[in-house]
Amino acid sequence: MSREILLQARDVSKSFGAVRVLHEVSFDVYRGEVLGILGPNGAGKTTLFNMISGDIKPSGGDIRLGEIALRGEPPFKRCRMGIGRTYQIPRPYSGMTTFENLLVAAAFGGGRSESDAYAFCAQVLTDCELADKANTSSGSLTLLDRKRLELARALASDPKLLLLDEIAGGLTEEESRSLVALVRRIRDRGVTIVWIEHVLHALMAVADRLMVLNFGEKIAEGLPQEVIANPEVKRVYMGVEA
Amino acid sequence: MTSVPLSPVSHAPALPQVMVRRQTASGRIAMVLFLLAVVALAAMPWWAKTGTIRMVLELCCYIAVAQMWNMLAGYAGLVSVGQQAFMGAAGYALFVLAQTFGVNPFLAIFIALLVPAFLAVPCYMLLHRLDGPYFAIGTWVVAEVFRLVASNMGFLNAGAGMSLNVMKEYSLLERNIAMSLLCALMILLTIGGSYWFLRSRYGLALIAMRDNPVAAASQGVNVPRLRFMIYIAAAVGCGLAGAVYSMAQLRINPPSAFDPMWANVAIFIVMVGGIASIEGVLIGSLIYFIADRWFGQYGASYFVVLGVMTVFVALYARGGIWGAVSKRWDVHWFPIRRHLIYKTEERP
Repeated sequence: MSREILLQARDVSKSFGAVRVLHEVSFDVYRGEVLGILGPNGAGKTTLFNMISGDIKPSGGDIRLGEIALRGEPPFKRCRMGIGRTYQIPRPYSGMTTFENLLVAAAFGGGRSESDAYAFCAQVLTDCELADKANTSSGSLTLLDRKRLELARALASDPKLLLLDEIAGGLTEEESRSLVALVRRIRDRGVTIVWIEHVLHALMAVADRLMVLNFGEKIAEGLPQEVIANPEVKRVYMGVEA
Repeated sequence: MTSVPLSPVSHAPALPQVMVRRQTASGRIAMVLFLLAVVALAAMPWWAKTGTIRMVLELCCYIAVAQMWNMLAGYAGLVSVGQQAFMGAAGYALFVLAQTFGVNPFLAIFIALLVPAFLAVPCYMLLHRLDGPYFAIGTWVVAEVFRLVASNMGFLNAGAGMSLNVMKEYSLLERNIAMSLLCALMILLTIGGSYWFLRSRYGLALIAMRDNPVAAASQGVNVPRLRFMIYIAAAVGCGLAGAVYSMAQLRINPPSAFDPMWANVAIFIVMVGGIASIEGVLIGSLIYFIADRWFGQYGASYFVVLGVMTVFVALYARGGIWGAVSKRWDVHWFPIRRHLIYKTEERP
């Protein structure tokens, strides 16, 4: 694996008033890898994603995509720079069809002309098994299909860095396995992935490294087996006393 | 989920053969009817009496203002109750240009549109910091400020207002021809222009922004700029309606130029006809126009009925009349959907 750093976070902190959500978290994401992020609810995982994608501003610290400092860059520019993301609670454009949802991402995030985006989006729909729902109103999709749509829409923006926020939640084991295979193929295509997930076996199957957050602080980072064996991680995340 | 091979997205040969259908049969029929309506508007002097032209002009102004409000509230999520600010500003600009500076009034209408366009910029810079109801209140305050400024400017003849005496230089036929052409142009620009915009890639972005601005921004849509563009365009569209309406009235004063009734009318038309649809604006405008002709004599009680209708629709039929129709029958007079069709046999 190449060790070129694609995303660099240094001492990233976030507070909402007196509530400290993240405290001086630092980590690197290497180009081409899958970094899994674990942590109990309220650990600050989604807040970290929101700061990377620009939805919220950090209270302190620095985030860089390659050599570019992201501070002050609005979300739409970060997307055009190559940061794609999904949301934990799907946010489809419910007044549009599934296909049109992807067109927005391909045309604006991916910078494609609309006619170029047609075939590209059709392919992404096929990849994410939404082709038969291409012309269905996204507001009427099932939860599973909404999660697929989140992933498909993020892919349609042709990201260099893909932020996946709990996309396996609510899926059956078979569906999770298929999703892992899909994530692996996206990685093999050269897309770097950071994946927040509670479905541990899905994450373990594809992640090159894991990072664990607890109460806004990084408590472990490293190879998946090493991190899972970490007594602090066992105590915090799995409730197992060492 | 079953495993499906993921094609390398950057390699064109792997992409499926697809086509996208944009038009529908009802859309084609409606397009022909729309163009015929525009031609009929332009040709009014040859088939309509002066009184009819005045009434149609009023209807066209309702349609234009309501469609601009529809673009603001129905698509951009900007609920304004102060678009009359730009109607009045353009109306006054027309009167000053034509009456004070001697510019040809029919040319002055178009020059006057620069005024709402320029005024909308600082207004938006101020208002965009406000959210939801605060934005709405802010737009109303801006309109009131405009009215008070106009009421106190000697240059605009203050509260007494101005008359467009230069129109006496033109014959009735000339005025009717000009008014008819302006009606056609106003409908072409506001309805045709909105349709063209909604069918463009920016229309996609606009609907995405309406449905979920946070997600739209994270998919590359420049939400603040799009909102700004819509606000300016709506100011110009309302300005055109205001200038044409004032020209037809031949007189302008602050209460009529900045009449908040225009905001009420636009809200009624869009809510009852169907928000976020051009069809709804056309239906709502016709309803209001007919209701105004038939029941306007009843004054306050008539407005109460209109208000109750709006509340009823907001509570029980949020899509308005057109929303109910399109839910029952899958027809679209102004289709903006993109229907994907796989051409190859490999389609799953």
